[in-house]
Amino acid sequence: MDYYETEEDSALVSSDFKTAVEGVVGGNVYQHSRVKQWNSSVIEQCLSQLNKLGKPFKYIVNCIIMQKTGAGLQTACACFWDNSTDGCCAVKWENESMHCIVNVFGMAI
Amino acid sequence: MTGMEEFHNGSEGAFNSEEADNIVKECIESVVGGDDYSQSQVNKWTASIVERCLTQLVKSWKPYKYIVTCAVMQKTGAGLHTANSCYWDTAMDGSCTVRWENRTMNCVVSVFAVAIA
Repeated sequence: MDYYETEEDSALVSSDFKTAVEGVVGGNVYQHSRVKQWNSSVIEQCLSQLNKLGKPFKYIVNCIIMQKTGAGLQTACACFWDNSTDGCCAVKWENESMHCIVNVFGMAI
Repeated sequence: MTGMEEFHNGSEGAFNSEEADNIVKECIESVVGGDDYSQSQVNKWTASIVERCLTQLVKSWKPYKYIVTCAVMQKTGAGLHTANSCYWDTAMDGSCTVRWENRTMNCVVSVFAVAIA
């Protein structure tokens, strides 16, 4: 999906998060010693972009970075919330050496 | 795992991460315990795990919204790093992450509980 499934998020699209990921890991090769720092940076940037919206929401940002070796990876999520006000967005990004999946959840206060 | 903190139950009404931990472990075991990684089944497994965890959590009828995420990865030596960050009320909201593995796969399940005002 490209948009949050809530009204509040017309201004924020998944491309903003993709830009954040690209800015942190774009052009890099998977490195075990750096992946922790990359993960933190991606999450920090996504969260600060969300906070800038200044909406009355609580946010959860989850980021997975996996080395590309042909291993299988499957992720899933389930949410128990208010469908009319809360929503989520999943962004998938990859280059030759790694996959990056960012999940963003927003819940109205 | 970075950016994750175990929420300790210090006040009435706060999220009980220990209880959630037990629920999640039980759900994982019941779905994939004893199985080998299978590409054709993994889709079904992750869906079952999140569904079961959510059902069990909701049964407690506490005033929380819940999010359950699950990642199952085949063990081939590939590197995997996951992290979470949450912007919420640290007094009332909480999370719990469970890492489980067997001979052929790794499974990471995270539960986030957000208090309803």
